[in-house]
Amino acid sequence: MNIQGTCSIPAPPARVFEALINPAVLQRVIPGCEKLEKTGADEYNAHLKIGIASVKGSYVGKVKLTDQQPPHKFTLHMEGKGAPGFVKGSSVIELKEEGSGTKLSYTASVQVGGLIAAVGSRVVEAAAKKLAGDFFQKFSQVIENPSAGA
Amino acid sequence: MIPASFDYFRPQSLEEAIGLLNQHGEEAKVLAGGHSLVPAMKLRLAQPKVVIDIGRISDLNYIREQDGKIAIGAMTTHHAIETSGLLREKCPLLTELAPQIGDVQVRNRGTIGGSLVHADPAADWPAAILALDAELDVVGPNGSRSIHVKKFFVDLFQTALQPNQILREIRVPATPRSVAYVKFAQRASGFAIAGVAVVVHAASQTVSVGVTGVAAKPYRANAVEKSLEGQPLTAESITHASKRAASRIDPLNDIHASAEYRAHLARVNTRRALQIAASRI
Amino acid sequence: MATSKNKGYFGKALKRVEDPRLIKGLATYVDDLKFPGMLHAAVLRSPHAHAKILGVKTESAKALPGVIGVYTAADVNPTCGLLPCASPMPDQKAPKHTVLAGDRVYYVGHPVAIVLATDRYIARDALDLIEADYEPLPVVVDPEKALDKDSPLTHPDLGTNVSFTWSVANGDLDGAFQQADRVIKQRMVHQRLIPMAIEPRGCVASYHPGEGTLTLWTSTQIPHLVRTLLPGMVGVPENKIRVVAPEVGGGFGSKLNLYVEEALCCHLSMRLRTPVKWIESRRENAAATIHGRDQVGEYEVAVKNDGAVLAIKSRTIADIGSYLQLLTPAIPTLTGLMLTGCYKIKAMRMDVIGVYTHKMSTDAYRGAGRPEATYVIERVMDLVAAELGLDPIKVRLKNFPKPTEFPFNTATGLTYDSGNYQGALKKAQQIAPWDDLVRWREKARQEGRLFGVGVSTYVEICALGPSKMMASGGWEWGCVRMEISGKVSVITGATPHGQGQETSFAQIIADKLGVPIEDIVVFRGDTSVAHYGRDTYGSRATALGGTALIMSAEKVIEKARRLAAHLLGAKTKDVLFRDGKFFAKGKPKKSVGWGLLAQEAYVAKNLPPNFEPGLEASSFFEPKNCTYPFGTHIVAAEIDRDTGEVQIIKYVAVDDCGHQVNPLLVEGQVQGGIAHSLGQALFERAVYDENGQLLTGEFMDYALARAKDIPDYVMDSTVTPSPSNPMGIKGCGEAGTIGATPAIANAVLDALAPLGIRHLDLPLTPEKIWRAINNSKPSKSK
Repeated sequence: MNIQGTCSIPAPPARVFEALINPAVLQRVIPGCEKLEKTGADEYNAHLKIGIASVKGSYVGKVKLTDQQPPHKFTLHMEGKGAPGFVKGSSVIELKEEGSGTKLSYTASVQVGGLIAAVGSRVVEAAAKKLAGDFFQKFSQVIENPSAGA
Repeated sequence: MIPASFDYFRPQSLEEAIGLLNQHGEEAKVLAGGHSLVPAMKLRLAQPKVVIDIGRISDLNYIREQDGKIAIGAMTTHHAIETSGLLREKCPLLTELAPQIGDVQVRNRGTIGGSLVHADPAADWPAAILALDAELDVVGPNGSRSIHVKKFFVDLFQTALQPNQILREIRVPATPRSVAYVKFAQRASGFAIAGVAVVVHAASQTVSVGVTGVAAKPYRANAVEKSLEGQPLTAESITHASKRAASRIDPLNDIHASAEYRAHLARVNTRRALQIAASRI
Repeated sequence: MATSKNKGYFGKALKRVEDPRLIKGLATYVDDLKFPGMLHAAVLRSPHAHAKILGVKTESAKALPGVIGVYTAADVNPTCGLLPCASPMPDQKAPKHTVLAGDRVYYVGHPVAIVLATDRYIARDALDLIEADYEPLPVVVDPEKALDKDSPLTHPDLGTNVSFTWSVANGDLDGAFQQADRVIKQRMVHQRLIPMAIEPRGCVASYHPGEGTLTLWTSTQIPHLVRTLLPGMVGVPENKIRVVAPEVGGGFGSKLNLYVEEALCCHLSMRLRTPVKWIESRRENAAATIHGRDQVGEYEVAVKNDGAVLAIKSRTIADIGSYLQLLTPAIPTLTGLMLTGCYKIKAMRMDVIGVYTHKMSTDAYRGAGRPEATYVIERVMDLVAAELGLDPIKVRLKNFPKPTEFPFNTATGLTYDSGNYQGALKKAQQIAPWDDLVRWREKARQEGRLFGVGVSTYVEICALGPSKMMASGGWEWGCVRMEISGKVSVITGATPHGQGQETSFAQIIADKLGVPIEDIVVFRGDTSVAHYGRDTYGSRATALGGTALIMSAEKVIEKARRLAAHLLGAKTKDVLFRDGKFFAKGKPKKSVGWGLLAQEAYVAKNLPPNFEPGLEASSFFEPKNCTYPFGTHIVAAEIDRDTGEVQIIKYVAVDDCGHQVNPLLVEGQVQGGIAHSLGQALFERAVYDENGQLLTGEFMDYALARAKDIPDYVMDSTVTPSPSNPMGIKGCGEAGTIGATPAIANAVLDALAPLGIRHLDLPLTPEKIWRAINNSKPSKSK
């Protein structure tokens, strides 16, 4: 399953890039991220609690950043597994100047398995889009107001 | 098909239910008719620690006329709506839609409140409730408030209801007979791939169009409504307006229908629903 | 056997004696069984289609109160035998089918560990506490891609994805294609289907440590075959195993198998010396009970301009999933044997490649290989008609053998027992009536509507079959016992499980013995009661099991005749038997009935010399040939141009299953079969994504036909007795599934023909049709 989207962020690409590869920021903006532990260069272990409505699950997984081409492009890999199944995805994130801000576009390929694939297929794509949307919306807020949220 | 263990409460009053909900917070789920929650629990997709069964609260199950509107208790079953003489006369969109939900067993147990609060993107009720500009009363620890349906559906499975609130009542206006609900059902589940509810207000020369199943949340087809505002409803004007039924919408995509086909069905069913409703003026 | 007498039960549409208990909820299914000390099993299954198992940590699960044990491959594989395949191919390459996944998993749903607990809830909770760690590996789900050189391998240790190859060929194929005026080619995909019996699988195993005996209650079609195969897996000899199939809530081929869970429950019951129950969930049933169909073929026919079909050839890829289950390789061979359908096609060739993929195994699903063949040849007949501008009915008539040409030898090497294909077609045409449907179509087309008429004339192979064709015997066994009270116990090895033979066998024997039907009880489904049997599949129970019972009843009558002669003081050869009474020739008023004979036979104080007490006989019936039921289905359908939805306007089925013991049962079988077909034709399909995840794992997404989807059927029959058994029965369990799918497909494609659409693969979903309409360029003809 592939999903894509764009959003505008009120900060220049260099600052957006810096923030996006910053684990402290990532932890705040990855939906349901409860813990992010560094395990190597740009590699982290993550504890996620992701849920849509009553369908909630705890996932343990990895977050990894690769193919970094500051300040325009990098790839964000995430994978997690938990009782509802497993999720694995990688997203190419591209940043372009847009006035004084940044136009961010992402193309993600997402793979789900186990229970959520077997019984949730009709909403999996919508759920993935929603989570991606939540991620970038939160990110926009954080970049606009670095001390807010958390 | 065995749920995870949970604590079960069966409050006798709405106050008691809200107290329990407030106490257990996000760990708790409210059980209405159980036709969405129980399957999700049996699959272990949902594993609430606490289930609060509001099925024994007597003052949540009614259909009555009140201040020129029709008030429907949240625990009213689909079947009760389907067979309501009052609704058939005053708000026929609901009695036309109800028999298109699931099957007889589902309609005997499932409730309108449970369905609206669950906010399944393919549930039938939201299309009609949107087209009717319904008001929804929710009750929480700090009292009750009324939410217009346009602000109720927030996102996929997400409503304006807070975790410690319960939907108490849905209020719909009396409408003329010029209404229709046209649905294209998913073969396996019976849920809507595209369900369109229409109210034609001949007096004000306006139409209301609610669409479910097509996007992550149900929506009003504003572009269609705008196109027909003040216009006579002819085959041409309806066909022309219906082409906008999915404009500025990101349609769902799954193994049962591609985004493109869903958008197409939204347009077809909008046209058909408008034609039927117009024929009933 | 007299079959159309007004008197008697044979041929009467009696209601089923099985039904009251089923309707009232008084039937005993496996899950209704409870035994003291019984433990409950739950199976942990792989969420990956292909992965290396890095580790399975069971400590937390074991620590859960109520959990008795958690077992992984290391615990059970060394002591359990491999799951057998009963229909191996000469060149077959097969992985070792262990009861639990060893170091790798090969499909979503592959069993990895099994939990035993004191109740089902605890067992299920424990599954969530097992920590299984996997390293995902490359996945192949498309059987055609699986043949690419660089494809991932399903079982890397086999070195290939090809499991087996198989061919059937006869006649002068090259000559036929050279003589042809035209060669018509079509690729067809037979989608993967999930049988989805309403009762999932389940079993209870109970080992008696003192006797060393093992009893397995299991929801199966084949208790006798399970009993034959279990010793190799659990190490208990056959004569110490009892297998019971209690009430079975649907099988459709999916319970014509031996499964690892059955062996695991037996093994664990022996190990813990206590009964073990396992009940499959719906999700497990979708993922880990065999699937059906899933073939892709390229088909080519050589035709003359007058519509004569000279030859057909095919290269077919059969997706067999990850393992060979009991009959997996045999399924596409049935397609090959039936590929020429009910036509005189002198030359044919079919090459089958069985291919492994990371999916659940395919095996027998209602029709088992035959629906594929019929769908192909019936689509081909319509393509031939379309290409040559001929009437599809005339093309069929052109190629039918005449009724006088039976027994008819096919190019595939079969001998069709009897047939009158023209008769069934003509009757269906009259009932429809075909000419009216064609007129409706022309009118609809003038109005711009998409209306089509489709026909399918099918033949299938049933009553399997002579033992020379079968892996482990194609006979059937039955016993008739006149009890001391004069009541009759009928014991069949054919294991009916919902088809209604408790009623139809009683009808047959009541007539034969001249006793009231209420005095007969039919026993089935327990290897301790029915000592021998080859069980139910391939519409064999009535034709073969019924015949074994008739043979036994005749033996009982002959024995009783001797006793009657003794009691009447007459010579045995002078004693006549009529309407349940024995009397000396010319003296019908002085007769003895079953009541007295039964008493004397068992009390045994007044017996003729050298007369063994008792009135019981059993028989094996070995048929000389299979049976070949046939028929014609006609469908009219209209397509909603806006949405692509298909509406069945008219459905006419004329089936010929030879003589009918109980027409009500025949009607029910055909109706159910058509319902299965309707699903296959219009909406059913198993969907795996490119990573091997099953996306149709529940009824939310797997579109089984519901009552409201079923059109009104007009059903009728012709009767062409089969010479393969004395009752002239052909069988009807799969007819609907085989005949209906191509009739529906042909009607839909006929509706689309004015748009220049030649073929679409099943299922004909609204979106698929809508897209085809959008992409179409209307043809000039029609």
